[in-house]
Formats: sequence, structure tokens, C-alpha cells
Amino acid sequence: MALLDATRHAFALLSGGDAALWHIVWVSIKTSILGLLLAAPPAVLLGYLIAMHRFPGRRIAVWLAQAALSLPTVLIGLLLYLMLSRRGPMGGLEWLFAQPGIVLGQMIIGLPVLLAFTLAAVQALDPRHAETAIAHGASPVRVMLTVLHEARYGVMAAVISGFGRVISEVGCALMVGGNIEGQTRTITTAIALETSKGEFAQGIALGIVLVTLALLMNGVLVLLQGEAHNPGARL
Amino acid sequence: MNPAENPAGNPGVTPAVTPAVTPAATPLLSVQRLRKAHGQRLLFDIARLDIARAAAYVLTGANGSGKSTLLRMLGGLERCDSCRVAFEGQDLPLYPYPRQLRQRIVYVHQHPIMFSTSVGHNIAYGLLARGVDRRVLRALVDEAMAWAGVTHLRDNDPARLSGGEKQRVALARARVLQPRLLLLDEPTANLDGEAREQVIALIPTLVEQGASVVMACHDRDLINLPGVRRLKLRDGRLAVR
Repeated sequence: MALLDATRHAFALLSGGDAALWHIVWVSIKTSILGLLLAAPPAVLLGYLIAMHRFPGRRIAVWLAQAALSLPTVLIGLLLYLMLSRRGPMGGLEWLFAQPGIVLGQMIIGLPVLLAFTLAAVQALDPRHAETAIAHGASPVRVMLTVLHEARYGVMAAVISGFGRVISEVGCALMVGGNIEGQTRTITTAIALETSKGEFAQGIALGIVLVTLALLMNGVLVLLQGEAHNPGARL
Repeated sequence: MNPAENPAGNPGVTPAVTPAVTPAATPLLSVQRLRKAHGQRLLFDIARLDIARAAAYVLTGANGSGKSTLLRMLGGLERCDSCRVAFEGQDLPLYPYPRQLRQRIVYVHQHPIMFSTSVGHNIAYGLLARGVDRRVLRALVDEAMAWAGVTHLRDNDPARLSGGEKQRVALARARVLQPRLLLLDEPTANLDGEAREQVIALIPTLVEQGASVVMACHDRDLINLPGVRRLKLRDGRLAVR
């Protein structure tokens, strides 16, 4: 019955426009998107370069990229905490317990996901795409854009997976953000806090938001993949 | 390629071409001492290969003899260990592949890949890469599509083209760049009936318009096209027939 009551209360919070709750959602979405926007260009570029080029140490680069996927976020949080703390090398930025610190953490967490998925997507693409572009005189940048366009559904899956990873992580956001109400409290840190206090309604409400976001993001991907099989004319 | 049989009887060494004194007599492409090895295994050791201007060649040889690899090296998609080339009389390296060759030589895959845009965009791809003005581009694409008989496919999804249509679109995509040399890897492979005949009919028109064509193929109808010169790869060496 307690669960039922908490769930009922959670829906009431969501439908009632609870300002504190929606602010938490906003902070989560904002920091996650900013982190991904910062991570995407270098991650996609690196993923493409590793996939397309043979160089000494390439296998080590692939191994490191894939190993970084399983890096515990709390460890990233600890390292960032040490870097951003007053005595740390980046202490002067004053990003600890502030949203820029969370964004930096989300960027570091999202980068290996984006890199590894982009690498896999480009590697899976028929090499004749790049060869055809090269054979028709495309510059290296145009070849890259062509290949990424052809692998776009894999790259989009990388972005969506990266978003899922950063918005759902709790360790780094808690350590670097500090879970300060109205400033650095995110969906996951709020759920952890409210649950520890025995206040389940807000936790369930935020959980519903997380699940809804996951469904929406993956729904968009499914729609795009469907469109991939029925592409329209473009010239 | 010098069409004369090698008097020395060495199938790997075609007779040396007398140095050209006029631009017209200069081979379009002259390749010398082309070597490629995989580990200890020597794949190619070609002493000389001359491609004449506005001429068609078929490159034959058993499966695995390296026909595709040779075309890919000439098209800058694969490295050779050592090679010297002269294109229209200008000495150039084959690796790294020089811009002058990239703009004048186009390689077409056995199974051409289409970019997932539209047929029209695919044909325009190389022109867009070269920064050709949009209005000029449109006219060139229209002309190339008409040549290949694919005008009606302009807005189609390339994924839904038949094998023959894809091959004709690929030929139009290459021809629109007005290359001096086209390298076609098995252009009629896996095609039959009308589709094959349509592709074969396009080859002489490329030569008539001034391009040279080298085709790796087994297709008797291509090999027996009038005026086509024959190259044969065997044991990494090239013979002219």
C-alpha cells in the first residue's frame, strides 16, 4: 500500500507542476546535453580516425576505448573531485559543487560511449563507401562527412546511448555536484537522497521521468532507423 | 599499352615504347617497374605498362591473379611497393597518390556502392567534391544521366536499383567527372540479359568521347569488342596480346 500511495503521490507531483521536481529534471537534462555536446565532436572524430586508419598502437587505442566504457562513474567522480578541489590543479576554476563540474563529468563519462559506438558503426560500414568517395576526388574531410553520413544511424545510436549513460549516472554527479538543492541536484542524486530519507514519492516521480526520457530517446532512434529503410529522394 | 607482342618472350616485360616526340604519341599513362609484395610473396612485378589515349583495354587473368588489385593501385586505392608513372608525359609517384591523377583517373568497383541519398545526388557527388557551380553541375548531371539512360531514376532511392541500373549509375557518376582514364572492375559481373548489354553498349562511347578504359573482366562480349586491346596477368606479370 505504501508503494501505491507513493506512486499516486508521484503522479500528483508530476501533474501538479512541482517546481522543485521540474528544476531537478531541468538541471539533469541541461548538464547531460551540454556534456554530450562537448564530448561528441572529439569522440566522433577519434572514433572515425581509429576506425579508418591503420597505425601503430591502433589495437591498444581500441582496447582503451572499449575499456573506458566500463570505467566506474564514481571513480571518474573521485578523480574530478581531486582535480577540482581547492588544492587540485583545476581548483581555480571553482567548478566543484557547481554545474560546470557536473558538465565536465558528464563529458568524460559520455566520451568513451560515443567513441566506442562511433568506432563500431564506422568499422561496420562497407569500406567501398570511403573508397568511392576517395575515387571520386573527395577531400579527407568530405570523405569523413560522407562516411559519417552513411553510418549516421550508428552515430545517432552512439549519441542516444551516451545520453542514457550520462543522465542515469549517479556517482560522478553526486561527488562533483554535491547534490545541492536548486543548483546541482540531478534526477539520480535526488532519487538517491529521497530514498535514503524514506521519501519515495519524489524518487518515483523522477524515476518515471527517467524512464519516459529513455523511451522517448529510443523511440526517436527506432523511427530514424525505420526511415533508414525507406529513405526519400534528396536531390 | 604497346600492342606489339614482347619480342624477348618475357611475359612480364612489354616492349619499351619509343620515346614520344609529340603529345599525341605520348601514352596517357606509362607505368614502370610496378612491384607489390605481401610478405615474402611477390604479387606483381610489372616492368612496363603503357595506356594509350582514347583506347580500351581488357585485363584478363585467372581468379586471384590480381586484376582488381592492379586496378586499385592505378586508382590510388591500394599502395604499391615501388612504381614510377608518367601521366600525359608528367612524371609522378603512384604513392602517395597525386592530386593530378585523382582528378583524371576514376576507379569503379565491381559491385558499385551507392551513397544513401538519391541517384541524382550520387552522380553529382564528385562534382560537388570539386566545388563545381550548381548550375553547371545540374547540366553535367543531366547529360551524364541521359548518356547512361538513367534520367528517369534521378530522385530514386539507390538502394532499390537493380544491379544493371546501379552499374549504369556508377558509370555515369564516374563519367560526369570527365576522367581521362576509367578503371572498371568487372563492369558486367553478375549482370545478364538486357542489363549486361546496356552496360557493354556504354563502353565504346566512353572511348569515342576521348577517355581510355581499362576493364578487369572475364566477359567474352567485352573482350571481343572491336578495337579492345588485351592485357593478361599471370604470375604477377603482364602480357600483351
